[in-house]
Amino acid sequence: MTEMQISSARNINWIVHIILIISAVVMLVPFVWMVLTSLKTTTEATQIPIHFFPSAPSLRGYIEAIKQSAFPHYYMNTVFTAIMKTVFPVIFSSMAAYAFARLRFPGSTILFVLIISVMMVPNPVFYTPQYMMMSDLGLVNTVTALWITSLISPFATFLLRQFFMTISKELEEAAVLDGCNPFQIYWHIMLPLVKSALVAIVIIQLQWSWNELQWPLIINSSPEKMTLSSGIATLVSMFGTDYPVLMAGAFMAVVPMIILFFIFQKQFIEGIAFSAHKG
Amino acid sequence: MNSRSRYVWAYFMIAPTLIGTLVFWGWPVLQSILLGFQQSENFGLVNHWVGFANYEKLFRDAEFWQNLRNTLYYVALFVPVTLILSTIFAVLLNTKIKGLSIYRVIFFLPQVTMPAAAAMVWVVLFAQDFGLINHILGTRVAWLSNSNYAMIVLVIVGVWGAIGLNMLLILAGLQGIPKSLYEAADIDGAKRFNKFRYITIPMLTPTLFFTSIILLIGATQIFDSIFLIIGKTNVALPSVRSLVYAYYQNSFVYFNPNYGAAIINVLLLINLLLTGIQFAFQKKWVVYD
Amino acid sequence: MAKRNKFSFMFAVVFIVLALVTAACSGNSNSTVNNGSKNNAEGETDKPQKNVTLTYSIWDKIQQPAMEAIAKEFTAENPNIKIKVEVIPWGDYWTKMSAAAPAGTLPDVFWMHGGQFVKYATGNFLEPITSKVQAGEIDLNNYAADLASIYTLNGENYGVPKDFDTIGLAYNKELFDQANIPYPDDTWDYAKLAEVAKQLSQPDKGIYGFGAKLDTQTGYWNDMLANGGSILSSDLSKSGYDDPASIEALKARYQMILDGASPTHQQMTDTEATEMFKSGRLAMIFDGSWRISDIDSSEIIKDKWDWAKLPSGKVKRGNIINGLGNVMSAKGKNKEEAWLFLKFLGSQKAAEITAEMGAAIPAFNGTQDAWLSSRPHLNLKIFTEQVADAIPYPSGSKSYPVWFAKEPEIMSQAWGGAISVEDAAKKIAEMMNQAIAETK
Repeated sequence: MTEMQISSARNINWIVHIILIISAVVMLVPFVWMVLTSLKTTTEATQIPIHFFPSAPSLRGYIEAIKQSAFPHYYMNTVFTAIMKTVFPVIFSSMAAYAFARLRFPGSTILFVLIISVMMVPNPVFYTPQYMMMSDLGLVNTVTALWITSLISPFATFLLRQFFMTISKELEEAAVLDGCNPFQIYWHIMLPLVKSALVAIVIIQLQWSWNELQWPLIINSSPEKMTLSSGIATLVSMFGTDYPVLMAGAFMAVVPMIILFFIFQKQFIEGIAFSAHKG
Repeated sequence: MNSRSRYVWAYFMIAPTLIGTLVFWGWPVLQSILLGFQQSENFGLVNHWVGFANYEKLFRDAEFWQNLRNTLYYVALFVPVTLILSTIFAVLLNTKIKGLSIYRVIFFLPQVTMPAAAAMVWVVLFAQDFGLINHILGTRVAWLSNSNYAMIVLVIVGVWGAIGLNMLLILAGLQGIPKSLYEAADIDGAKRFNKFRYITIPMLTPTLFFTSIILLIGATQIFDSIFLIIGKTNVALPSVRSLVYAYYQNSFVYFNPNYGAAIINVLLLINLLLTGIQFAFQKKWVVYD
Repeated sequence: MAKRNKFSFMFAVVFIVLALVTAACSGNSNSTVNNGSKNNAEGETDKPQKNVTLTYSIWDKIQQPAMEAIAKEFTAENPNIKIKVEVIPWGDYWTKMSAAAPAGTLPDVFWMHGGQFVKYATGNFLEPITSKVQAGEIDLNNYAADLASIYTLNGENYGVPKDFDTIGLAYNKELFDQANIPYPDDTWDYAKLAEVAKQLSQPDKGIYGFGAKLDTQTGYWNDMLANGGSILSSDLSKSGYDDPASIEALKARYQMILDGASPTHQQMTDTEATEMFKSGRLAMIFDGSWRISDIDSSEIIKDKWDWAKLPSGKVKRGNIINGLGNVMSAKGKNKEEAWLFLKFLGSQKAAEITAEMGAAIPAFNGTQDAWLSSRPHLNLKIFTEQVADAIPYPSGSKSYPVWFAKEPEIMSQAWGGAISVEDAAKKIAEMMNQAIAETK
């Protein structure tokens, strides 16, 4: 590399850093403001001119939010629901995706289109018919109702099919010669190769489950059967514009996921990078 | 292996997804299609056939066309902005820059913030009198109830929440590009930009294709943020009200599930069309290995 | 090879953990149901003794302690019947009930609102109590102001009156004292309200005289009535929004925002008017008797506020009386027990608990005095005195849930300045008349 190239590379590095720092600050502002507001009094939260820092930090928001909701239940239900809505879709979708990507069979195109066209249907469409199904099964107002309808994922099927299609066919052909059946090929050879995509799907499914708002509100009414997302949404109906309470609830809902994410971010993000390097 | 046993294996492997799809998703969609041709009474326990009456009413309804325009406007702003910013950040973070992991975590944080929580804090940030954004800009704009700005606010909130995931997907795509391609280009003395243009972008097209479809489908279904941030007594509601919002109101608030179903069936058709177009054109720009 | 094993191992672990968690969880969620049926089997010979848990759904978290106190009292008398009081916030309440009704999963006993009643009664989702009334198990004449008639349809009784509410003018004494203006009293009219509101406003400090909010029952409906207008014609067949007197009243309210005597609609969306009043930034506001304990809980305004009657208008003093009722599901699994609880909710004992805890003005005759003295520092009698001025909440038709949901969407166009108040009122009238025609 010549001198000039090195110095231009340095300049680029600087520009990159500045862009990233500014963007990072913008991304973080809502979190900072959430914490600051949660510690203010109701009046201070809406004061003009605005106060950046709470003059006398108060925990009232947290106390009220905890008193009016069932956070321990929210956490447990959310984690349990998230596990169910992650593990099953990952297994089922990867199986289907492999079949769609590699095993040519009659009706494969039409069935694939059928499954992914489900993605195009907005969620609220499912509410009423699924409510009726849950009621026929006697599952209204139960934790089971939170996840039972989401054991499959057209999205994950689509994503994994894309990944399987980019994998070279040579590995598979060797396995066929060894007498492996399609399921064995899928399980022992193909699945480890798309580990990065699986990690991505785990994250996406976790996050979708975590964020699901309307369905728990419709299907369940007891606070002990609610998830975090729907639980804090009911705070809005209860507390209106009492922002410290809302922000306290939001913060308590967000914090576990942030902590989890900080702890596992290496596995989450670098896991993708690492396995892809090997692949 | 003969093709017969391959078929059996294939059906076995798609069975859970297929059955689940048909029972929990296909059946409701079928009902939605039927509902569009009916008139329901008493919370949907009594239904009469009315042919295309709901659709005739729909296509004469100025509000429906406005809602359709709003939805497409949101899609046209949200999808490209998210895709471009996510790609830029993914490329920047795919280098050996200092503090890499911290940036990745920060950009992903909005993704782990549930919309309900995010909406609450954005409402406070965009508030007219005590909002941080007006304070910083030195303005007193009523962002949320201004028919010109309300949509921009929704796009900002949407992009803020979507960058993390899409960046990650694109990052995974970038990591999957074989190093040998770049090494070969280095030997040929290729410039940074040319490597990006002729290696990175083409190799990234399958991922970009996928993310663009997911973003597009997600964007046409915008609802939560309108519901949570704009609200039903907002003067700007008509300029941001989406098809799904109108569906929700008709089905669950106005006791008119049939009209709601007609709205959503039109959206379903639009989405199928848009996705179909994308699939049809993918051969033109997507490079599969 | 090692890598592959690790991978399979991970899946195996997840599965085992999952199996354990599933087992633990389903055991948990079924326990209440199992309990009921198990005890049912044991006590088959002695039927009335079976242990049941009833769900009682309400929408007001402020009243939760009082409702739980009543439930506790009931369980003390009927040890085999436990009551689970469940708060579903108003914003989600009717969406949830309309999903539950056709599915047959309505709560055993729940709060009913006059506006929603007809829709549920005509669909046969509510259990009629006519036979119980005729058998003398409950006397509907015990309740004030003919409240039982709200929950009567085609000669069938469905609901037991719970409480009633009227609207008052809340004012911040401190802001009046600072400006040396006498407190509102019975002599006030709307002109006086507007004049004083202007005097008390200091927009630069974020303080306003009056919260001219976009609201019906605690807002412009009272104005419209006082000015000689109407909400619905008396036979419920036509909207009163396009009555010139109604429009004039609506315009007068909106004018207060234009005059700077009230915060703007957006300001009152960013911070609810009641919240502003609680933080001492609004001198006056209309609010319902159900908000008393909420406002009184504010540290900032405590002991610095009171109630007055609504101002009188050109024609009369406007006000709206609304009575909530308790009803039971027609598809409940334990209807006998539900009736026992419903009867208890309508008893004098329950009304006294409601009154003493200051939860709401009880419907049961003779128990209102206890409510009046529940907060001696406040002039609560304006609420009971205004019953004479009040008209019943404009419900009683199947179309109400439809037009009531659409009304604020149109009115907010006027309150946000996009269309004139007159146009909004006319549009609402048209929308209401159409809704009425469609649900005939």
